[in-house]
Amino acid sequence: MAENAEKRNYRGRLHDLQKDLMNDYFDQMTRSANGEGDPSVYLLISGNPVELLRAFDLLPIYPEINALQTAVKKKALPFIQKAEEIGYSTDNCAYVKADIGLYFSGNQAPMAKVPPPSLLLTNYVGCNVYLHWWEHLSELTGAPIFDIDIPFLRTPDGEPRPEDIQYVMRQLGDLIPILERISGKRYDPDRLREVVELSRETGEYWAQIKLLTQLRPSPFDAYFDAVTMMGPLYALRGTKEGRDYFRDAYLELQQKVAQHEGPLPEEKYRLVIEGPPPWPYLRTFREMFERWGAVFVASSYSTVGGLWEFGFRHDPANPLESVAMHMLKWNLTNRNFLQRYAQLKSYVDEWGADGLVIHSVKSCRLFSAGQGDMREYFARQLGVPTLLVESDLEDQRYFSPAQMRTRIDAFMESLEHHKLVSHG
Amino acid sequence: MAAIGLPQLEEAQDLTALVDDLRVLFEDPDFKLASEIKRTTGKPIVGNFPVYSPVELFHAAGAHPVGLVGAGNQIEIAHADSRFQSFVCSVIKSTLELGLTDRLRDFDGMVFHSICDPARNLASVFKRNFPDQWVEYIHFPQNLVSESSVDYLESEYRRILDRLSELTGKQVTNDDVNQSITLYNRARSLMRDLYAFRRDNPHVLTTKDLYTVVRAGHILTVEEHIRLLEHVQRLVQTKQGHERDHIRVILVGSFCEQPSLDLINAMEEAGLDILDDDFMLGRRWFTEDVRADGDGVRSLAEAYRDRSVISSVKHDSRRHKGEELVAQVRSAKADAVIVSVPKFCEPGLFDYAIYRRALLEANIPHLFVEYEEKMWLFDKVQTEVETFVESLLLD
Amino acid sequence: MLYRAGVDVGSTQTKAVIVDETGTMVAKVLVDTGSNVVKAAERAFVQAAEQAGLQREQVDYVVGTGYGRFNVTFGNDQITEISCHAKGIAHVNPNVRTVIDIGGQDAKAIKIDETGDVKDFVMNDKCAAGTGRFLGNSAEVLNLSLDEIGERSLQAKVPVRLSTVCTVFVETDILSHLALGRSVENILGGVHSAVAARVVALARRVGVEREVALTGGVSRNVGMVHALEKHLEVPIYVSPDAHFMGALGAALFANERAIAVAG
Ligand code: SF4
Ligand code: SF4
Repeated sequence: MAENAEKRNYRGRLHDLQKDLMNDYFDQMTRSANGEGDPSVYLLISGNPVELLRAFDLLPIYPEINALQTAVKKKALPFIQKAEEIGYSTDNCAYVKADIGLYFSGNQAPMAKVPPPSLLLTNYVGCNVYLHWWEHLSELTGAPIFDIDIPFLRTPDGEPRPEDIQYVMRQLGDLIPILERISGKRYDPDRLREVVELSRETGEYWAQIKLLTQLRPSPFDAYFDAVTMMGPLYALRGTKEGRDYFRDAYLELQQKVAQHEGPLPEEKYRLVIEGPPPWPYLRTFREMFERWGAVFVASSYSTVGGLWEFGFRHDPANPLESVAMHMLKWNLTNRNFLQRYAQLKSYVDEWGADGLVIHSVKSCRLFSAGQGDMREYFARQLGVPTLLVESDLEDQRYFSPAQMRTRIDAFMESLEHHKLVSHG
Repeated sequence: MAAIGLPQLEEAQDLTALVDDLRVLFEDPDFKLASEIKRTTGKPIVGNFPVYSPVELFHAAGAHPVGLVGAGNQIEIAHADSRFQSFVCSVIKSTLELGLTDRLRDFDGMVFHSICDPARNLASVFKRNFPDQWVEYIHFPQNLVSESSVDYLESEYRRILDRLSELTGKQVTNDDVNQSITLYNRARSLMRDLYAFRRDNPHVLTTKDLYTVVRAGHILTVEEHIRLLEHVQRLVQTKQGHERDHIRVILVGSFCEQPSLDLINAMEEAGLDILDDDFMLGRRWFTEDVRADGDGVRSLAEAYRDRSVISSVKHDSRRHKGEELVAQVRSAKADAVIVSVPKFCEPGLFDYAIYRRALLEANIPHLFVEYEEKMWLFDKVQTEVETFVESLLLD
Repeated sequence: MLYRAGVDVGSTQTKAVIVDETGTMVAKVLVDTGSNVVKAAERAFVQAAEQAGLQREQVDYVVGTGYGRFNVTFGNDQITEISCHAKGIAHVNPNVRTVIDIGGQDAKAIKIDETGDVKDFVMNDKCAAGTGRFLGNSAEVLNLSLDEIGERSLQAKVPVRLSTVCTVFVETDILSHLALGRSVENILGGVHSAVAARVVALARRVGVEREVALTGGVSRNVGMVHALEKHLEVPIYVSPDAHFMGALGAALFANERAIAVAG
């Protein structure tokens, strides 16, 4: 029975190391804010081209990470409300509102002081809100914008067109002199190659890690533990520390595999999850599944930054091209909605899952608009047990624990029954 | 011969009566006029979702572009809300509902654009729900600073043109494209003239009437639309109007999902002289004529970058939306701004925050209203507008 | 003879059902939940035992369900109302394949097989349109009791069209219609039709298969049953004990589990 599942989730070295690394990163942020460190460039998570910044020793700042960290600490609401007071709607993405509210509160986030941008780099990889967000920040901070416009994957073969690739390459060509100016450093192709090589190695470890969850039991939770690793994947990719972190994490997880250990004492259900997590209620949400012995073996959210487990690697022989292809093709958000269905389906099939959970967040329409259709496809067309629940990734007002729990429990009850019947 | 579905223009000497006839054409959720055009001209119908669509290419390829802007308040949404959640704007759902209730059966294709995340996902949802339907998606460039964006858009247009040719079976020449550009230039220039006339004579040409005449162009052939616009241009010259005790406003935010005609009318009646607006922006996208004597596809791509209006779904880091709005108010000598945004329209709602900052700073009063196309009663909006008008008139 | 109970703690009402080993209902009790949820559960259970003429100890297994299921402190287990409604309805009518349940705060559609197993279910999203609350708010604006609105909606000649299904704005909407001189009956016709439309849309997500049953508190509202039948174009089965289906299902689960525990 559900209640017997012992409440003990996995916390290993990779969690502690992550904390240290991210704290260092936040310290760098604060130093930069105090005018001591490297100049900062704002960029976005989706298919992030962080290598370009690392090659110029520019500090990447992800307002999305700041927003989610603030939410995890349940400190986002006052920022959101501040933004709503000055004309932002309840229906606007709450990441943006938390960030705008932060700006109007002197940029003091709970974990760091956020430096003002030297450049607002819009890697427009899927999310339309990105374009708006940076437009607002530019107006407020006076910092220049550079839009890297990434054509969406829209043709039947699901591939970028040669013209799309050329377009992106030319924009990267336009960007380089700007990065030179901001950093005061000349573009050094060898340095970029080094950074890209580090990213390649990081990607290799990360891909291996993600494939481990195909095993039974899965050595970690591909949602709740994967998000822990996503911080370093974006903030530190292209650095030695970042690469070493993923090497260590891989070794640790391999050991768990050798000992047949998973994140829970017993893996009773294997689930796939779609959508970003409810950051302010991350713990609560996790427990709602843990008490049933359910582990997420794959998540679409963990591929927003890149689709390494499906074969992508940065290529030091063609560093700029591989950065371009990363944004164009090798991430979740620049792929169309039907490609996302296919990705989730392969998770269900190849990762051997019992069902799909769709966490539909109001803030992020990139993810959520149309998830009813996705539910229809999985539940009715494919016959995969599917649960759709709604809340938000940032705004705690949209999470009602009792409602959420009832839906999850009912879903797990039916899965439980299904298991009993199919196993005789 | 009488034009298809179009009232006998020679006899239509009363603009109000003409508008009532036209309204029926575009408020028809079964698109009977479009079907009729398809039957008589043999042209396939390609629907285009707002905001902007390169209709010249559709026309040049021998298709008839029909603007598909949801279903207003004409149908109930009974199926589409199982696909899109409650926090998604209505036009997404009503457009899908039209498909799910088989009202688009005479449409041969659908084109969506990169205006917002829901519209983009809608393109995929259309593909899944109607696997036999021809569905295309245009990614418009967002880095308009870069020279490469024109090359990119040109290639994107050529791709769409090829796809359209597959649909219609017609090989398209550069002359075809230029001829289409010429026609649409003519329609746009007539609309610009009517807009200018309305700005100076809002009591003669009301927004309700102007809107209807423009909106009819979403369903009529461009040739018919030009005839209609020319006729209306003649009618308004002699039309009498009564000066009203209204305030003069610019209306922004209604570029995609449309308020019902009755809501537009209600706002006007509540005391607004609307001098400029962004209703039905897609068919009025260019501020000047598009070149019609060069490489047509290239000209359209260039015009997108350099001669098009700014809107919440177009991003151009060379321009500032707040400043442009303030300049627009000043040049029209407007008293105030109405920001009317469809509920759940994220692009419009984001821009409101920008407008608000700019308007406060410039000391220009504004009213923010939210609407839904399916609204049926407008008391709340009407009261808001009335109160706003009173507060300004009493100043 | 051994007995088992199910206690369904809803936001407004709490129901308790006791069954014997064969699954026959021997008691059913309904009390107002009030502010003390734990006490309400206790009260309903004690009264049910009295009704059946049983000592408390004779009931050896209790399952709590409903939103307050974790407040059934004397319960052996908690099971969601979704599973329980399905179980209950299949017991009284094994032909049912689609269950529609409209509660005060939420609405759900459940697809079941002949044994009452849940094949799929959906619940309303964040928005409370299509729930009992919408009916409640409407009744309040019209100064009527919840019990009379269903009956009166049946007399609607030209049901009005509401411009919103939003629980918050329905009040203004109704007031506008009143101001336009529309009759209370026509307004109520519109209100019921709006809720039915939402609920039917919900049911379509799991696929509507006959027979269709309506459970939960709103099942006593004849106007709602009528409106649903009109929108679905199929007859709706309403058990005389429709609002006890959750508690009955819980009691039946208690039966199964007690037997499983006994081994
Ligand atoms: S809409 Fe989604 S992807 Fe875009 S900024 Fe918000 S949370 Fe991020
Ligand atoms: S109304 Fe706004 S949110 Fe809706 S489709 Fe249009 S642009 Fe997108």
